[in-house]
Amino acid sequence: MSTATSEFIQNLPTAEQAIARLREIGMPKRNNELWSFFPVAKIPTPEFMGTDFAASSAANPAAAPAANETAAQSPAENAPAIKESDFAALLPIANNARPMIREIADGADEMAMLKCNNDFGHTVLDIGKGAKVSLEILDNKVTHDIAAERFDINVGENADVEIFFANPACDLPLRFRHFNINQAAGANVRFSSICKDTAIGRISIECHLKGEGANFDYRSLHILDGEASQHSRLTIYHEAPRTVSTQLARNLLSGSARVSYDGSVIVGYDCTGVNSSQLVNTILMSEDASVSVKPVLKIYHDDVECTHGNTVGELDAEQMFYLVSRGIPKKAAQEMLMRSFAQETFLPLPDSPAKKRLMSSL
Amino acid sequence: MLSIKNLKASIEDGTQILKGINLEVKPGEVHAIMGPNGSGKSTLSKVIAGHPAYHVDGGSVELDGKNLLEMEINERANSGLFISTQYPTEIPGVNNVEFLKMALNSKRAFLGQPEMSDEDFKKLCEEKMNLLEMDERYRERGVNDGMSGGEKKRNEILQMAILDPKVSFLDETDSGLDIDALRIVANGINHIMSPEKAVILVTHYQRLLDYIKPTYVHVLRHGKIILSGGPELALKLEDQGYDWIEEA
Ligand SMILES: Nc1ncnc2c1ncn2[C@@H]1O[C@H](COP(=O)(O)OP(=O)(O)O)[C@@H](O)[C@H]1O
Ligand SMILES: [Mg+2]
Repeated sequence: MSTATSEFIQNLPTAEQAIARLREIGMPKRNNELWSFFPVAKIPTPEFMGTDFAASSAANPAAAPAANETAAQSPAENAPAIKESDFAALLPIANNARPMIREIADGADEMAMLKCNNDFGHTVLDIGKGAKVSLEILDNKVTHDIAAERFDINVGENADVEIFFANPACDLPLRFRHFNINQAAGANVRFSSICKDTAIGRISIECHLKGEGANFDYRSLHILDGEASQHSRLTIYHEAPRTVSTQLARNLLSGSARVSYDGSVIVGYDCTGVNSSQLVNTILMSEDASVSVKPVLKIYHDDVECTHGNTVGELDAEQMFYLVSRGIPKKAAQEMLMRSFAQETFLPLPDSPAKKRLMSSL
Repeated sequence: MLSIKNLKASIEDGTQILKGINLEVKPGEVHAIMGPNGSGKSTLSKVIAGHPAYHVDGGSVELDGKNLLEMEINERANSGLFISTQYPTEIPGVNNVEFLKMALNSKRAFLGQPEMSDEDFKKLCEEKMNLLEMDERYRERGVNDGMSGGEKKRNEILQMAILDPKVSFLDETDSGLDIDALRIVANGINHIMSPEKAVILVTHYQRLLDYIKPTYVHVLRHGKIILSGGPELALKLEDQGYDWIEEA
């Protein structure tokens, strides 16, 4: 493996580092921009945070851990500091999730399925140059009170990778999935997901487009009902010229389901010809369903094309009338329109196992 | 078979658009409704179909003795009513053929008939598409999606052919059609028509009525039918316009 990839693996935080960092940043709070829409009160405080940690000040992390035994044994002092600051990204590592490291050779053509632990998991994929990878993430049937999974994915030059999941509705009370993606020049990553979970969840993605022409395509569909509360947090760093990112998030919300979409695009200096788009479309099927969208653009270059859009609506009344006036019952007509809205999310994908799986699950 | 009595309807702001429409349509008849823009012709079709933008203030619409106004929108269609609106709605993402199959099977379910098999449906669809000289691309497209005005009208008549309604109300089906398309669509309508069925045509032009001979021609103005006559009335209207008619 090249130095770049081994560096990638070596730079992953250790459990000690993760714990130390978590103590430093503290439990997620609503006033932290990473968690502004999330029902943070539902997150149980992990033991290693110390029992009275939550009450202590995050600005003075040294004060908290000294109080209890776990903290006393903590090697926090010797662990070099890390910068990672997303609680959900650090949680699995802090909980000693043993990393499953998989290296995919240059030029390989692989289809893989990954079964998640549904408690704490850490997967590291190091994908070689020009490799072609289709990765489906599956749920494990066994569920716990909380699941936090982390994926570190390093994508070599000109590799073509699809990552997708269309799991059946999951009633895990709380689920985090964090993806940390690095893309070298010319690397394509398509991330596509369908979420029908019934409880609380958050997907966070940090994508670094490090090499010229790298392309990240994100498509997500949330079909939620009842009390479901699902949150997405994306940060895309355009760190090289002519990098492209596309985000399309579609939501079909019934009951009192709640969705938030928090997408940041950061375009660095010297990054000419960057193209980035973000679009969030939501259909509210009920009075109590709700959506919050927060687009953030930080652009440090002129020659950049960035667009973002956000639409919220109901099913089109004229389309409903048309279908029903041809004899189709109201409920079936609604389903037809919802299905077409859902399918359009993935229609532009190239023919692939991901597209097949996602479309067939709708 | 279709009996409209003193039908009054208004829009949301309370403005009454239909001010007492009376129309008796018997099996085997073709009725042409003409009239200046804005007189309420399209409103009449949508009120009968049950469009939510209109409020019925009074009167009745019966199909074979059953009050349509008390039925759900889909039940009206399944009871044998077919309304083709002036501007058919586009529904990208809902496949044209899937939609047709769904509509047909909804009607069959309503009538207590079993679902049509895929094979039989395919045959039926092919037959009607041939009748209307429609090419294969219609199958792949979304309902009316990206179709020209004329293509949409033809697609509407395809639906009519497949759903085989008792009474069809076709609102300006001839507008947007070129000369060939007009002939094809008109022949299609004649082909679907039978002594047990009836058609109501809203049109501005005699050219459609050259193909489809009307039994009666009505003039609708300011929300009322102000004059009725035979086919010769259409010719006179084309020649002289509407201003000579005295409103009651
Ligand atoms: N949904 C509506 N909202 C507001 N005005 C309407 C609506 N439907 C019809 N109208 C008005 O009612 C009148 C009759 O319209 P329409 O039935 O479309 O006439 P026609 O088809 O005879 O040209 C017009 O003045 C039109 O603007
Ligand atoms: Mg009209």
